Amino acid sequence: MTTTTTRPAPAAGPSGPAAAEPPKLKSRKEPERFALLGVWAIVIIIFSLTTDRFLTEGNISSMLGSQTVLLILALGLLIPLRVGDYDLSVAATLGISAMLVAILNVNEGWNIVPACIVAILAGAVIGAVNGAIVVKFDIDPFIVTLGMSTLLQGVLFWISDSATISGIDVGLSDAVLTNTVLSIPVNFWYAVVLCAALWYVFDYTPGGQRLLFVGQSKDMARLNGIGVGRARFLALVASGTIAALAGVVLAGTTGSADPNSSASFLLPAFAACFLGSTTLKIGRFNPWGTFIALYFIVTGTTGLQLLGAQNYVQQLFYGAALIIAVILSKILRQRNDRRLQNDARQAALATAAAETTQNTKDNA
Amino acid sequence: MSEPRQAQTGDAPRVAGPEVLEISGLVKRFAGVPALGGVDLTVRAGEVHGLLGANGCGKSTLIKTLAGVHDADEGRVAIHGQDVPMPFGADGLRTRGLSFVHQDLGLSDAATVLEHFALDHIGVSGGAVRRIPWEAERRRAAELLARFEVAVDPDSRVDQLTPVQRAMVAIVRAVASQEVLARDGERRPQLLILDEPTVFLPSADVGILFRLVDRLRADGDAVILVSHDLDEVLEICDRVTVLRDGKNVGTRDVPGLSRDELVELILGVKIGAVTRPEDGTQRSPEVVLSTRGLSGERVRGLDLDLHPGEVVGVTGLAGSGIEELTDLLYGVRSPTGGTVSVGGEDVARPTPSRMLGHDVVLLPADRKALGSAPRLTVLENMSLPFLRGSFRGGRLRWGALRQQAQDTCVRLHVKPADPAALFSSLSGGNQQKALLGKWLDTKPDVMLLAEPTQGVDVGARREIFRLVREAVAGGAAVLCATSDYEQLVQLADRVLIFADGRVVDEIAGDAITKDALTTAIYAGAAA
Repeated sequence: MTTTTTRPAPAAGPSGPAAAEPPKLKSRKEPERFALLGVWAIVIIIFSLTTDRFLTEGNISSMLGSQTVLLILALGLLIPLRVGDYDLSVAATLGISAMLVAILNVNEGWNIVPACIVAILAGAVIGAVNGAIVVKFDIDPFIVTLGMSTLLQGVLFWISDSATISGIDVGLSDAVLTNTVLSIPVNFWYAVVLCAALWYVFDYTPGGQRLLFVGQSKDMARLNGIGVGRARFLALVASGTIAALAGVVLAGTTGSADPNSSASFLLPAFAACFLGSTTLKIGRFNPWGTFIALYFIVTGTTGLQLLGAQNYVQQLFYGAALIIAVILSKILRQRNDRRLQNDARQAALATAAAETTQNTKDNA
Repeated sequence: MSEPRQAQTGDAPRVAGPEVLEISGLVKRFAGVPALGGVDLTVRAGEVHGLLGANGCGKSTLIKTLAGVHDADEGRVAIHGQDVPMPFGADGLRTRGLSFVHQDLGLSDAATVLEHFALDHIGVSGGAVRRIPWEAERRRAAELLARFEVAVDPDSRVDQLTPVQRAMVAIVRAVASQEVLARDGERRPQLLILDEPTVFLPSADVGILFRLVDRLRADGDAVILVSHDLDEVLEICDRVTVLRDGKNVGTRDVPGLSRDELVELILGVKIGAVTRPEDGTQRSPEVVLSTRGLSGERVRGLDLDLHPGEVVGVTGLAGSGIEELTDLLYGVRSPTGGTVSVGGEDVARPTPSRMLGHDVVLLPADRKALGSAPRLTVLENMSLPFLRGSFRGGRLRWGALRQQAQDTCVRLHVKPADPAALFSSLSGGNQQKALLGKWLDTKPDVMLLAEPTQGVDVGARREIFRLVREAVAGGAAVLCATSDYEQLVQLADRVLIFADGRVVDEIAGDAITKDALTTAIYAGAAA
């Protein structure tokens, strides 16, 4: 591909100085982009007014810190979603990773550091197997990762004898939970760094832009020289690796590994990704949107629990959020498209008259 | 078109029937801006009426208003002399005898022809559990197809049909579903709106489709044909109505109307004849792309040398291999044999990314699915080849990319010249100009064009020709595979005629005329 493209200086085109100025479009305001932020703010205000236990340092710190595992998992999931693929095996990968840390560290007596490294590598391998099957045999990743998820869940019960393993090295717990920055557990800041890194990759690198095109149309991306298979493979490797990282953080947070706990992470992660795609960049999976969406859900469930709601309110909230998110994103996207279409039509009409006179002159 | 017109009813006055559709003073505004500023249109029974105009003239707004997608703001629409109350809604005009066949035909690939007909006949609502009399439905479908002389097995799946068979099935289906709606069995003249039905058809098959249209006309039905292809319009239509800027420019009888007059009506300006260079001396002796014995599914043993500074046209009948050629050269499909070399260097296993590395680009025929990402912005679509070069200091320089896209849009008269616009919000001609501009900015050595002006209005078509010739003057080599002969007459320095996967003839320079091309193609096919 040509990388050095020397461009003629602006406005020096062949049509000369009389070339029609590009129409000034009225700046696009998309208030919907910030709707979720607004709703979040309202929810926070309501809970602050109704219970005085809500806006306390302890509660804020616990809200931000307690859901970091989920946030990391959701951020990893964003990558295959960006290329248009589902990875349903992330929660099971998280479980395997946490269990590996526990088994290697507690049962086998490994040092915590190599145990964590092996766990993360295992996630990368799982992602690579997913990716290789998807790309090599051109199979829908939805099915492949659904199968992989169930298979891993089986492995999880097998290697753990269906029992919780506790007593993981407190060093890990210190590294992810006990240490705090600004009174918030340090693992929250890990997630923020990951979020910023993804934002940078998605928006400011050629690779991120290529992932976006693969997600839009694989054939089109291929014709433009993008390695579609490689992009899909790497996306699944990335989601597997990051899911395993989330597993390590989970092991550190709880100090143990429970074979039953991981499956419950899958739906909330998807809910955060889809709800996140209705905010900041409508119709696109984006990291900060996911961040906002996730903490919106956490705020809602925490507040309701403080008000005395039962634990099942969490499932109600997550399930509803996922369904509402997909409906919302559909509606917002349609509205957005219509508005852009109208803008384009008006601009075309506005320039039509000027262009016609221009053409007449050119032809004279 | 070389297919003889058989069902045409002699030279008698062509349009005599009663008025089927009468539109007067139709106005449709979008956010206060009129897209239709008082359109009048009268269509009579037994006529094929062409509806023409450049992109953005209001054609598609008019069709969408009739289909009930948009509600008209003012005006009157009457069918069979009876006013239709507004707004029409989706069924307002349909239940009165108006039916549409859109470009995408509205058929489901995995279902059979019979299933489509049966669905219309039985209806989509009510009696969900009653038994479908499949034998009776099969007889009825076979009768319908036989009546319109469409040689299709009712049990074949839609994806097994050729493009023209699909188009004909869609038309017969539209007519038949109207007959179902006419409860009393009395058959009133119908009005069928064909929205660019020939865009995806190989030119040889257009005649087959037109025979069906002729048949409908002979039955006393009325047809509105929306098309960009002026030759087709002049061949099949009795009258044409031209729209420009949302208003009528005029309605004309086709007999006696010339192509140039029609172009002038559509564009509103007189335009010189062709864009071919006066002297064909731009061609350089060196070879930039060459193939030896290149073979694919259709193409067999192609030896081709492409020189900088020339436009090589490639044409032939459907199945002759021209549809496959650009894909083979660009590595979209793997060749079954032979070699491709660019700039004297062999390309071992051509893939799009390798060919791009050799400065070979492809503008594919299917703009929506292969050429662009319609849901992304113009900027994102146009900056795809420049991502690597714009990654400086650790991040993409979006400002520079935006400026480049904007400059290109202005230079190529893409309307609107707004990089932030959604790509799908541009009209077909503007989309194609933007995509062409994207590749031109890479300064390619070789441009492969597949049906580059399909679904593009005459104004944009001329600009595309101009841009291609400019690139060629700058030393690019262009290969243009198309079944649009007029395009080759205007654009190509030499034309390779394909038949049965091989080059059977070559026509160069001023010898390239529509007659010469047609003769060569049929001679080649017969040999």
